[in-house]
Amino acid sequence: MQCQRRHLLALAVAAPALSGCASLAALGPPPPWLAGLPERVELAAVPFVEQARFHCGPAALAMVAGAAGVEVSADALADWAFLPAREGALQVEMLAAARRQGLLAVVLPGELRALLVELAAGHPVVVLQNLGLAISPRWHYAVAIGYDAAARELLLRSGAEPRQRMAWFTFERTWARGGRWAFAALPPGRLPATAREPEAVQAAIGFERVASPAQVLHAWTAVHARWPDNLPAAIGLANAQVGQGRLAEAAQVLAQAAAQHDSAAAWHNLAQVHLRRGERDAAADAARRALAAADRGGADARWRDAALAVLREATR
Amino acid sequence: MPLLRRLTAGFAAAALLNASLVHAAPPGLIGAEQVAAAQAAPTVSSAHERLLAQLDRAEVAQALSERGVAPELARERVAALTDEEALQVARHIDEAPAGGDVLGTVVFIFVLLLVTDILGLTRIFPFTRPIR
Repeated sequence: MQCQRRHLLALAVAAPALSGCASLAALGPPPPWLAGLPERVELAAVPFVEQARFHCGPAALAMVAGAAGVEVSADALADWAFLPAREGALQVEMLAAARRQGLLAVVLPGELRALLVELAAGHPVVVLQNLGLAISPRWHYAVAIGYDAAARELLLRSGAEPRQRMAWFTFERTWARGGRWAFAALPPGRLPATAREPEAVQAAIGFERVASPAQVLHAWTAVHARWPDNLPAAIGLANAQVGQGRLAEAAQVLAQAAAQHDSAAAWHNLAQVHLRRGERDAAADAARRALAAADRGGADARWRDAALAVLREATR
Repeated sequence: MPLLRRLTAGFAAAALLNASLVHAAPPGLIGAEQVAAAQAAPTVSSAHERLLAQLDRAEVAQALSERGVAPELARERVAALTDEEALQVARHIDEAPAGGDVLGTVVFIFVLLLVTDILGLTRIFPFTRPIR
């Protein structure tokens, strides 16, 4: 995962040449998949952080963090997302480092349209590119900050360049060689426009391991609001509410999820919340439902012991 | 200075370890991560059920008996699989090319595992006696 300036320079020479060709050729009408998107977007407020040698990952993180209102230097981030031996940052560490800054890092769908939608929504996007070839990779993290649909160009803060213009054609190739990996890092109350359910839930799960309870509550509230039918999101939201002492709200969320999914875990947690509120009859009732759901077998069977324990507690 | 550095590094490592052990759910409550993990992994019993369901298919039963494996024996084999092994076999079937010859894959896996067991290369079916 190393990012080398030498190759950035090579690309900086190549990119304008390519875009020059493109602007001479008749580009024709915009492709249909662009429908509904603005003609051009530039998130000028995203700060530019020039990368130190090999530190494209921390620099990219510092830029999106700054855009989200978190002031942090690339040097400080390098402690979290830089492996000296590999001369670069691993993808999972990029996500983890963003979380440690209190930002919900969500992996985005690997489609150019998703990037453009995200930019149009005002969210800068960290992209992983392979500026070399598959056989001799030159990994590089950059931040997409805008696009120009007429010129078919993406705007990037990349390496030493505060405003790199790269043809979509070139970008797509460098991005595809990096596995079409991209993420947005936003304050936990907001979700990327194009986030998909599994990635958003995973992001919140990662977030709750490191973030403050209040922030975790924000994150789960946002995920649960967008995907109210997702069981882990309901569980996560209710747990965050319990952590903040909001037991009545947690009971409501759990009761709804338990009824909808007939999930042993949700019934169990509901019984626990009832117990904490001193509602022993309701707790015993929920615990029995948990046990019944666990006894049906399948994925819920693993909560059987927990269900038994809470039932004993409630009927003692 | 080196001592200070080492102390700082040790402190950071301890903090990191501590953070990684953080249990996100309040005490006594099942966490979202556990629920998501339970949903993601096909469970043991469901893997067994899926294998048995494959054996219920008439064409699978027939293909097995054509190869000298009685359907009842095949059921016993599934019952004899450990949870982990049942998951492995179920995954083999899941990974068979979509729209491809699933029947062939199922039969192939059962017959292959039986043969490799007899040869002593694998120990999927505990009741087979290796020839060496």
